[in-house]
Amino acid sequence: MPDKPGSRSSGFDRRAFMAGAAGSALIPITARAASEDARAPAAQDPSLPVEVTLNVNGKDKRLSIDARTTVLDALREHLKLTGSKKGCDHGQCGACTVLLDDRRVLSCLTLALAAEGQEITTIEGLATDDRLHPMQQAFIDNDAFQCGYCTPGQIMSAIACVKEGHAGSEADIREYMSGNICRCAAYPNIVAAVKQAAPEIMKG
Amino acid sequence: MGQPVPRYDAAAKVTGRATYASDMPLDNPAYAFLVTSAIAKGRIDRFELDDAKRVRGVIEIVTHENAPKLKDSKLFSNGGYAGTTIQPLKSAEIAHDGQIIAVVVAESYEAAREAANRVKVSYSAAAPSATFDSPGTTTAAAKGQNSQFKEDPKVGDFAKAFDAAEVKLTASYATPTQHHNPLELFTTSCAWTGDNLVIYEGSQYVHGLKNGVAEQLGIDADKVRVVNPYVGGGFGSRGSMTPRTAIIAAMARRLNRPIKLVPTRDQGFTITTHRAETRHEIKLGASRDGRLVALRHEGAEVSSRPDAYCVGGTKTTTRLYVCPNVDSLVSIVRADRNTPGFMRSPPEVPYLFALESALDELAVELNMDPVELRRINDATRDPIDGKPYTSRSLMACFDEAAKAFGWSQRSPQPKSISDGDWLIGYGCAATCYPTLMGPSAARVRLQRDGRTRVEIAGHEIGTGAYTVIAETAAERLGVPLEKVAVFMGDSDLPPAPVAGGSNSTASTCSAVMMVCDQIRQRLFKALMPSDTLADKAKETVGISPAPSTQAAKGDRSLDIEKAFDALGVGVVEEYGEWKPEGAPLDSFRAMHNGQVRLVGGHQMKDQIAYAFGAEFVEVRVNRFTREIRCPRLVGAFAAGRIMNPRTARSQLMGGLIWGMSSALLEATEIDERNARYVNDNLADYLVPVNADVPGVEVILLSEEDDRINPLGVKGLGELGNVGTNAAICNAIYHATGQRIRKLPVRLEDIEL
Repeated sequence: MPDKPGSRSSGFDRRAFMAGAAGSALIPITARAASEDARAPAAQDPSLPVEVTLNVNGKDKRLSIDARTTVLDALREHLKLTGSKKGCDHGQCGACTVLLDDRRVLSCLTLALAAEGQEITTIEGLATDDRLHPMQQAFIDNDAFQCGYCTPGQIMSAIACVKEGHAGSEADIREYMSGNICRCAAYPNIVAAVKQAAPEIMKG
Repeated sequence: MGQPVPRYDAAAKVTGRATYASDMPLDNPAYAFLVTSAIAKGRIDRFELDDAKRVRGVIEIVTHENAPKLKDSKLFSNGGYAGTTIQPLKSAEIAHDGQIIAVVVAESYEAAREAANRVKVSYSAAAPSATFDSPGTTTAAAKGQNSQFKEDPKVGDFAKAFDAAEVKLTASYATPTQHHNPLELFTTSCAWTGDNLVIYEGSQYVHGLKNGVAEQLGIDADKVRVVNPYVGGGFGSRGSMTPRTAIIAAMARRLNRPIKLVPTRDQGFTITTHRAETRHEIKLGASRDGRLVALRHEGAEVSSRPDAYCVGGTKTTTRLYVCPNVDSLVSIVRADRNTPGFMRSPPEVPYLFALESALDELAVELNMDPVELRRINDATRDPIDGKPYTSRSLMACFDEAAKAFGWSQRSPQPKSISDGDWLIGYGCAATCYPTLMGPSAARVRLQRDGRTRVEIAGHEIGTGAYTVIAETAAERLGVPLEKVAVFMGDSDLPPAPVAGGSNSTASTCSAVMMVCDQIRQRLFKALMPSDTLADKAKETVGISPAPSTQAAKGDRSLDIEKAFDALGVGVVEEYGEWKPEGAPLDSFRAMHNGQVRLVGGHQMKDQIAYAFGAEFVEVRVNRFTREIRCPRLVGAFAAGRIMNPRTARSQLMGGLIWGMSSALLEATEIDERNARYVNDNLADYLVPVNADVPGVEVILLSEEDDRINPLGVKGLGELGNVGTNAAICNAIYHATGQRIRKLPVRLEDIEL
């Protein structure tokens, strides 16, 4: 799915940020780097807090964070929404999966600044008035987890998998759920859960 | 069988409310980031820290030059708590790749990470010994250096019998290093309140960790509390204490501020333990009709320089089948590596791979069905000590699984079945796992309205521990399941054993059942004040129980409200300590000191207790690309009473997938020149994903065993992933005619 550049409302400039971040990672702070800092916008020094507003589960949250903070760390360390899990911090395991404007993304590979202006949905935002989302109920009904650590990511991914139209067959579900590792290996039960919830989710 | 009720913790886990260690709220935490060694052997000459210290937000950088002093802890098997005696930050010496050499603490995770990356280290590196065949390793028999490896099992005269055997087989096998890689990272948060320390860390043994950290810090164990109501996977990796915990605790004390450590995935490969690589030589001698006359299993395992860790699976492989002449030997090879540790079915996964592969080779040699070969040699007694199995349903498992799989359709010739470009093979193997139990305490509180609170420092690592404990209490007290609340994962609660060795259900549920019976007894006594003096006298001297005691221990239902009225109280609370038969005398003291005293398996006095199963697999090997797929896994298992078929099935299903993974996917690759791990991340260390696992079938056999424990429960968490590796290699042989004896099987190993 293409990016939606128009949806970013902050003054954040990805290019300026990358220049600053790369500088800080590769070269020590020298006179040259410092003079670049002086010319560039605040995002150039990544350790200076930046202001960001994140829309999480329908509510705007204003944060002052390190510009390098990922969506995952913003949720977990700054907003106390610890449902999204850190399993690798490298985009390899899927435990951190959240929805960004209904698209599934790896929140450990998404900078909080880059998520500004988009709607973030986490596992905490699925149930309404104590009524579980059909996918949550399906995971319970099919015992689709053991330790539960990958489960929030699995459920977020599963909802997107259905909405993408990738839940038409068991083989499709297996393929499109393969970005989410379950080390306990509840996979066959996860497939059963996605199958169960798909019709209800498609009905809306 | 028990009821297949949904998990007690299901709602918490699907809503994100289940709180794992790093989810616990902390008041103004500082963030720690580890710096780990880039060499495997040598010493640190110098740190350059100026650059790191200049990072905004850095609070402290600790190296061996300024680290808090910690006391050593002995290895868990030598009366200590640690999984390794290599204590980082103590000196400039480096004992293994990825050893912790510095810890950066900063105001934010991002600043700590940046500063850690700016720490510059100069080393004097020496040439390390990586593994088997590396120059500089030493090899010696396990017996005599590992206190838990007491005996190389032997019986009869192997050499003579092998010599005279009609059919002989000698074959060598190898299994790789593997890492548990639970999805929850190896995080540790430490917060002090005055002299009291709270540790939030995913642990499979909160009482062990509490006592171990207290020992290292030199403080009273009662000042330390370990909290982890949910653990994001264990698989053995969180069973013993790792060095990181006391380091973070001591730094938090020095800083007077909570510290949160979230190590990276790659650091997890070297700051905890792993399954060591093993090698095996099997010699089998048989008569023409398939009877085993001689069996020898020699195993070798890699460990670290200081610690003689080994799993020694010959204790099982020498007892699985009838054979009058048995010999065995386990050796430990010392290399410049971190100390290995238990990983799901530690002895059985590598050692049964060797034995169950060799049996298949023997079946081919004998032109016999491999299931029939096992039937001919099925044992009712332990062939080493002659003790009877408490129950053994191995062949029943083979028969059920064979039927479900369609084994009878198989033509035995290799390369005889194909489907287009795919060569198809069927294979099978036995699985078994010792039934272990440990002393456990529990506290149960019952209210007049039936509300029940169970407290036990057990561990929910995904096994369904909350669920089966709640079911046990509900059943014994006769209260609705939804009225039972279970509290676990907190060392302030009554101690339970390590969640390892598949002992948890048998141990914790036995303790909870016993304490519930204490409550029943109090209530029955109130309802049956007519117990005569003579009844009471007889009970005191142990001749016969009083009617109320009899009622409490039986299945008689109880009118709780009436009993409470008779008793005249609002709440009944009982605490009790349970230990399995044959537990050592110091069991309860050890339990409170956080030390494990598991009994069972072949170490029981007059009997031997194992759970059994049979696994059948279909593999497909592409004749052009050599791609190997495993479309079907079928397992039948018998493990005594199944407390909850739903959670049991899930665990066995996950186990079968683990078994497939150990055959086809998982290996930690070692750079042998540098003794370093190469694929230390979840993209390169292959674990199964959903697309790898099309069809898994689990069959639960009912098995009654009243000789093992009051519940008749055998552990099954580590039963599913044993033997699968052999079954898959046996199936690859059937598909291709090629015998593969080294795991994992890779495309390049297949020659067509």
